[in-house]
Amino acid sequence: MAVRPVSISRAVRSEDLEQYIMLTTVEKALAWAQSNSIWPAGFGLACCAIEMMALPSPRYDIARFGAEVFRSSPRQSDLLIVSGRVSHKMAPPLRQVYDQMLVPKWVMAMGACSSSGGMFANYAILQGVDKIVPVDVHVPGCPPRPEAVLDGFRLIQKKIRAGIPPAYELEKSKA
Amino acid sequence: MTSAQLAAAVKKAVPGSVTAHEQGLDMPTLTVKPEKLVEVATHLRDAMGKNFLSAVSAVDHLGYGEDVAGYFGTERGRDMNATGSWGTPLTVAQPPKRFAVRYHLAHVGDGPTERVRIQVWLDDGQEVPSVVGVWPTADWHEREQYDLMGIHFAGHPNLRRLIMPTDWAGHPLRKDYPIGGEPVQFTDAV
Amino acid sequence: MSTIDERPPAPVLPLYEPAKIPPGAPSKVDPPAGADLITVNFGPNHPSTHGVLRLIVTLDGEVVVGLDADIGYVHTGFEKNFEQKTYWKGIPYSPRMDYVAFFANELAYVGAVERLIDIEVPPRAQWIRMLFAELTRIHSHLIYLCTSAVEMGALSVFFYCLRERDSVLDLFEMATGVRMHDRYPQFGGVAEDLPKGFYAECRRFLADMPKRIDEYLDLLAGNPVWKSRYQGIGTITGETAIAMGLSGPNLRASGVPYDIRRLEPYLAYDQVEFDVITRPGGDAYDRFMCRTLEMYESVKIVEQCLDSMPSGPVMANDRKYVLPPRHELHTSMESLIHHFKLVTEGFRVAPGQVYHTVESPRGEFGCYLVSDGGAKPWRAHFRAPSFVSLQSTAMMSVNRYVGDMIVVVGSLDGVMGEADR
Repeated sequence: MAVRPVSISRAVRSEDLEQYIMLTTVEKALAWAQSNSIWPAGFGLACCAIEMMALPSPRYDIARFGAEVFRSSPRQSDLLIVSGRVSHKMAPPLRQVYDQMLVPKWVMAMGACSSSGGMFANYAILQGVDKIVPVDVHVPGCPPRPEAVLDGFRLIQKKIRAGIPPAYELEKSKA
Repeated sequence: MTSAQLAAAVKKAVPGSVTAHEQGLDMPTLTVKPEKLVEVATHLRDAMGKNFLSAVSAVDHLGYGEDVAGYFGTERGRDMNATGSWGTPLTVAQPPKRFAVRYHLAHVGDGPTERVRIQVWLDDGQEVPSVVGVWPTADWHEREQYDLMGIHFAGHPNLRRLIMPTDWAGHPLRKDYPIGGEPVQFTDAV
Repeated sequence: MSTIDERPPAPVLPLYEPAKIPPGAPSKVDPPAGADLITVNFGPNHPSTHGVLRLIVTLDGEVVVGLDADIGYVHTGFEKNFEQKTYWKGIPYSPRMDYVAFFANELAYVGAVERLIDIEVPPRAQWIRMLFAELTRIHSHLIYLCTSAVEMGALSVFFYCLRERDSVLDLFEMATGVRMHDRYPQFGGVAEDLPKGFYAECRRFLADMPKRIDEYLDLLAGNPVWKSRYQGIGTITGETAIAMGLSGPNLRASGVPYDIRRLEPYLAYDQVEFDVITRPGGDAYDRFMCRTLEMYESVKIVEQCLDSMPSGPVMANDRKYVLPPRHELHTSMESLIHHFKLVTEGFRVAPGQVYHTVESPRGEFGCYLVSDGGAKPWRAHFRAPSFVSLQSTAMMSVNRYVGDMIVVVGSLDGVMGEADR
């Protein structure tokens, strides 16, 4: 799509109009804006948090995908990256943080422990964070490489642009 | 210092405290009566320079050494690898009581570390005096062993759960506490 | 009208005042009775607590007058998991405790089992392990620097340290295949030999690293903002530190030269030259300097490792404990049987107990193993230095401002994964 400046007095044929104006639907425009400005709330719990810290680093640079800052407050963030093993003691604070996020919100279960309990099938660890929060994307790995997390991030972006509602809406419609 | 010399020195200072001693793989180990623990600890810290309490570990010996040695289709079976044994089970010395609380001490300062271990044997429900007055670092160590093993430390200023949620029932590291988790159904399981 | 002006100002300790062990429980300070005290929850999810630490803080204005630490939010039940798995299958569990200095945990566990089974590790494996142990020390101190700096608002240091951290993890990936949580130390040696090209890559890293550490010191050590935030805060004397169980850089910054690498040498530390960095002050600034200067020493040790690396096997030849090389599985029946037995059943360890300590970047990391003669550990207890150092948070933060409490927690360099296990 090439945009060239054109003087307003020249008549423009309707076939050429698309060269000068971008036409889209409101949903697509919103989705484009949302997907390119997802601000994660880092919920760094354990080893995956260290690999999540590598995301804003110069080499992997999640900021080029729009995640400019990792907000500390859940009220200001869109994506909750649950990075690490969630113990039963930590489950209520996790749910509280998730509830404080404003819609629309997405959840990425980063790593094996948050997706399914990982290698810790025992009394202490919640066997999968999707028992308490609806999860959009599971990123496997122990810990997943930063590139894998970026792949998961891109999946969420694709999901948003495809018009798929976030996971909590799907759960509501299921129930 | 060998364990015999150590035991003799401690017995001289606190009579009737040491019931056994062992040289051990890594450091001399003294077995001490629970009621004399604080006196022995104070003597070790002041007169023998063990000013650093490295760790307090409680061990639950329920089922220790039962039919030990490898498996052979079961949890504990026969030792197929021991030459000449033809699979006969290895016998292991039974511990005197169910719980052992072991204190790992060291000397930090001038000179070598000279690590020492003292151990106390306890029954289920028996109390052991707290050594927080001797080494303040024992505070959280003892709370953690209380939380996970259920050992009561008499005289501890703040004995409550540290690691598990406050309303948790049971002591997870005990041998009669199950590992937990949930059964995973595999798609090809019948 | 308001009583705020009539109330006496909250007590603030002068700088450099050493912390005193509080009466009662040494690890918490009860707030004094009084009106207008606020209890704030520095909850488990907080940008400045290293991991999931919960501090229940009572404030008189901006001054901390009571503090209680609540841990256990990432309790994973490691010790119970070790009892369920054979010794070999426990190796992947060990690095996940202190996930920042992961190699040190593995060394402690593998070293403890090796003492129990009395297996001799070939010298090349010892030197390779030492090399990675020092790279882990650099990695851990870089993470410490970047998180402490980001809490103070020095965001550039965060990015510089992460850049170096990626170089360190590149070296790990080259030799072991993964960035973090390699299961590289195995009983009897290391899993694989160093690959071709590792020496060149490592030397390139070592040539660069001292200049980068100079950069960090340039940015922070003389920086008046950094000094005013860090100097005089969280001072602790050597005696109090020993009584509270501190070790590693926390203790060496208070003037006590306690370094397990020097006093109880393991691996090949008695054959390399390095200084034990000790600082006299005992405040947060000295702890920061101790860790940053230790990175230079680690670079020195890695250089000596590359220069004097002995040749030879990287695994002991004891087939009762060590897996046979894979190519033998195609030709030798005994190797196949041994492989099968070692993987499914595991080797048995004679009854006994051992307490093996290593100098983790955080302090003295100890692994206490009790064996009952079976193929699985009877008890695996880990002495985590962060667990012990977090006890001192209350006594160092009380009667100081809230911002200083953040400095204290950061300067103790605690990692909640190992504190909670």
